[in-house]
Amino acid sequence: MIYLDSAATTLEKPGAVPRASAWAMTHLASPGRGGHAPGMGAAKLMYDMREQAARLFHMGDPEQVVLTCNATHALNIAIRSLVKPGGTAVISGYEHNAVTRPLYAIPGAKVRVAAGPLFDQDGVYEAFQREVDADVDAVICNHVSNVFGFIQPVERVAALCRERGVPLIVDASQSAGVLDVDMEGWGAAFIAMPGHKGLYGPQGTGLLLCGAQAQPLLYGGTGSLSARQEMPGFLPDRLEAGTHNVCGAAGLLEGMRFVSRTGTARIHRHERALAGRMMDRLERCRGIQVFRGPRECQSGLFSIVVDGVDCEEAGEALAKRGVAVRAGLHCAPLAHRTAGTQDTGTVRFSFSAFNRPDQADRAAAAVRGLTAAKY
Amino acid sequence: MVYYLIICRSLTYAQRTAQVLERVGIPGWVQRSPKLISKEGCGYCVRIPERRLTDALTVLRREGMTPKQVFLQTADGAYSEVRS
Repeated sequence: MIYLDSAATTLEKPGAVPRASAWAMTHLASPGRGGHAPGMGAAKLMYDMREQAARLFHMGDPEQVVLTCNATHALNIAIRSLVKPGGTAVISGYEHNAVTRPLYAIPGAKVRVAAGPLFDQDGVYEAFQREVDADVDAVICNHVSNVFGFIQPVERVAALCRERGVPLIVDASQSAGVLDVDMEGWGAAFIAMPGHKGLYGPQGTGLLLCGAQAQPLLYGGTGSLSARQEMPGFLPDRLEAGTHNVCGAAGLLEGMRFVSRTGTARIHRHERALAGRMMDRLERCRGIQVFRGPRECQSGLFSIVVDGVDCEEAGEALAKRGVAVRAGLHCAPLAHRTAGTQDTGTVRFSFSAFNRPDQADRAAAAVRGLTAAKY
Repeated sequence: MVYYLIICRSLTYAQRTAQVLERVGIPGWVQRSPKLISKEGCGYCVRIPERRLTDALTVLRREGMTPKQVFLQTADGAYSEVRS
């Protein structure tokens, strides 16, 4: 099988990832709950994981790195911390339901969409310039669209937020491990990311990088200040109630080590080259619309529409030909609405560090096969 | 043996404290805070050798990591708070 659904989760992991998770399951106990060797071993692992993340994402303090279940969990904490009932959020036109649904669930919250044209970084920035003012509780922007691979101008949006005194939440779901994510440089209030995509950790892991005061989503034991009933005011304890996913954290640590060793720039170049190679082939085919941006705007994932073929049927047909992709609205109806593909949906191809050029070629041939009968 | 216990607000903070000390050659062991001195419930501290307290506090202050409390643990197991 050719796996091109890494935007959902990376399937092939560095060998150390499953080994570390499996080892942790029978050797490490609950961190912060005991002074015995398996407990302290788990504590060391958690600290190493936080330190590795702090280095990778340019943060001075590992305490500000919070382990979550996934990026959605992290985004929920960030959004609930900043957007109050009746408050206002400004979001990009390419946000995922992990952003829009938590906002929808806040009573009376108003959402303004800074919608710029697809692959137009200046247009997106200008839309934020129009929408962001001092009355806004938070600006939320993903770094890379999970549908189109559009790299949004997060650095400029961050500067705008700093200038106007508005907290920024960055959804780095498709960029962590691939592009430079700079917590201190951007001055973000929060950056949310999955551990199981570009960081190559196990599913069930995510990170929230905190630069602002956060409100807990879960309440319970933290192994600290146990005599009190209110949650501790300090991180990471404040946001990590209950037993940690230590096995997940062990794998995530190894995944981040792999990313650090390999280098995000190298991974990005590799993925973008494969995506570009496949797009080159598909653009030569009649009946296939490829959504492709300029080099500086395009990550290693892209979408297509096959004329006359339902996107879900195309996805099914490709699966039967041994190519794993994601079709439909990708949990991001807003992004499809902004790009004008809400009625058709798209078929998405997303690469990882482990894909090879021959896989891009074979996948392109499989897609061409969908239109062969017609043209 | 006589030790000093640097009380920390969290396990992660204790780990960071120990790491900062180890970087300058001061051995620090992260351990659970004794119940007798941990009035707010479970907590962690960093245990350091008796003679290294002054150096340790200097380093921590330089890093902006002021200890919550410091206790002296004497050979008979008793604890007494010291002013940091």
